[in-house]
Amino acid sequence: MRLLVVEDERDLAQTLRRALEEEEFAVDLAEDGEDALFKIRELPYDAVILDLMLPRLDGWALLQTARADGIRTPVLVLTARDMIDDRVRGLNLGADDYLTKPFALVELVARVRAMIRRAYGNPSSTVQLGGLAIDTAGRQVLRAGAPIELTAREFAILELLTRSRGSVVARSTICEHIYNEDTDVLSNVVDVHVAALRRKLGPGVIRTRRGEGYMIDA
Amino acid sequence: MLSSLRARLLLWYTFILAAVIATFAGTVCYLFWRSLVADIDQGLRSSAAGFVQGLRPMASGEFDLVLPPEYRQTDGATAPLTFYAVWNREGELVDRSPGDFDIPRPAAAGTVTRDGRREVTVTGANGALVLIGRDLADARRDILAFAGTAAAGGLAALVLSLLGGWFLVGRALAPVARISQAATAMSAGDLTARIAVEHTDNELEQVALALNQAFDRLRLAVENERRFTADASHELRTPLATISAEIEWALSRDRSSEEYRRSFDTAQRAADRMRRVVERLLTLARADSADVALQRAPVGLAPVVNDALGIVQPLAEQKRVTIETRLREATVVGDRDRLTDLVTNLFSNAIQYNRAGGQVHVDVWPEGGEACLRVRDTGTGISADDLPRVFERFYRADKARTSHSGGAGLGLAIAKWIVEAHGGRIACHSTLGQGTEILVHLPRVV
Repeated sequence: MRLLVVEDERDLAQTLRRALEEEEFAVDLAEDGEDALFKIRELPYDAVILDLMLPRLDGWALLQTARADGIRTPVLVLTARDMIDDRVRGLNLGADDYLTKPFALVELVARVRAMIRRAYGNPSSTVQLGGLAIDTAGRQVLRAGAPIELTAREFAILELLTRSRGSVVARSTICEHIYNEDTDVLSNVVDVHVAALRRKLGPGVIRTRRGEGYMIDA
Repeated sequence: MLSSLRARLLLWYTFILAAVIATFAGTVCYLFWRSLVADIDQGLRSSAAGFVQGLRPMASGEFDLVLPPEYRQTDGATAPLTFYAVWNREGELVDRSPGDFDIPRPAAAGTVTRDGRREVTVTGANGALVLIGRDLADARRDILAFAGTAAAGGLAALVLSLLGGWFLVGRALAPVARISQAATAMSAGDLTARIAVEHTDNELEQVALALNQAFDRLRLAVENERRFTADASHELRTPLATISAEIEWALSRDRSSEEYRRSFDTAQRAADRMRRVVERLLTLARADSADVALQRAPVGLAPVVNDALGIVQPLAEQKRVTIETRLREATVVGDRDRLTDLVTNLFSNAIQYNRAGGQVHVDVWPEGGEACLRVRDTGTGISADDLPRVFERFYRADKARTSHSGGAGLGLAIAKWIVEAHGGRIACHSTLGQGTEILVHLPRVV
């Protein structure tokens, strides 16, 4: 899952990136509102973490513009402004969730995951797939109660394909969701991960649509 | 409170009006009674004159009485409307109207009212005493009827004017209702509540205008306070969030010593930033509560500038900014530490908002009764929109750079306070792209 963290305080942005990457998110940073708006428009983020007091274009204006453009990416507002008016204003302008600084990292991560689940139309953190149970919060896959060891990338690909069940996901889309902007990816790297995933999950779970991408049947 | 004010005004109004009407009606009744009695007196007196003419004096000192014709017909069964009595010099009753009532002999001539009767007594020939009297019952009936009419009329007038008064008082107090409505909304937290003002020529509307102005100032003060609190909370919560997130991350699993070192570095930077913000907030809070005792001693501005230069030198080297000074002697009376804070603040801004390799020009010179300090930088400058607000607390012309340089937008607010506490003034001029100039004037010791 790929996130955009919009935060003008560099230290905090770096901390967030490190923490979120450990939670197996691909993380991009934006330091001001205009940069953030450009990235939100260009890239298919799974969620945005947004500070409100930003240089150049503040968080409210950013939210308003993005929503007016029809961008539906879930947005969690992360700000020091804790007055009820501010929260209401943020939510009314199209934010999906609100967290006040200072915050607990575990709560931030849980809220972001919940937000993404809701956006994909499934509020439960566990998905059943044939004989497999995929626990997106606990980051593990169980077959008949026994865990299957997956790498972070493999899990991210499985999670993405599971969320998009029934439709084909292009290789480029997979790349966009599991790598941040600082990573140069060779196109066959996805194929390598998928091959490993198939080996671990067994045949028939992930299907290849030649020239299009991969999919998991609904 | 309002309705009771209206009722009380009306009560007083009624009271006064009733007193006026009663006095007026009473006076009219009295005058009417007086004229009635005067008419009666006149009739009695002319009758008495007729009686006196009818007295025929005799040589013996006695007299003979010839009754005027109208007194002969009295039948005596009832008390006659008009009656008479005549006494001789010795006080013996000579003649009187028939009737079953007493007519006491008066001591002397004159006019009296007695037992509801009006009596005129005159003296005639040979010491005779003639009394003509009249019962006042009919006159009293007349006056009572008149008083009754007057009372009814007065009451009607009172009721009418009460209704009018209720309406007028209500109208006059309508602005009070509007004022109280607006004030209630205001105290309930609706800072936009204002009193609708229709006419500006009456006293209550003037009050409304004055209150509206007070409401405006109150709203501004509350909004400033709110913004200040929001800004202060942002400035403190952001580094706090950094510290807490960094520590949570570091503790979430075993880390390498390199990672721990980085976490501590980050936490330390955030703590430094919090410390700076807290120190400056405390400075301003003390300035606001006016419990800062400034030292008052002669201080040369040039040595102060040199002290400040020593403090900001590392920062200047880091940003490769050169500082050029032209210092002439100018002495002010003030607090050397505070003045050093002032100049240090101005220098920090001039360095932080400068371009790499830029310059800062510092001039100190005496001018008339003032000592002048000018700090000019070659930075990006401040836009005309931001310029009027640079001395406001937490105001930052460009948040992007300042949040990395660690400023919280309090430096110039503190500078302004220090200058004004010394009886001076501070101004900022700036051209976008060319640089900013801060000019300070302080009263000089000549």
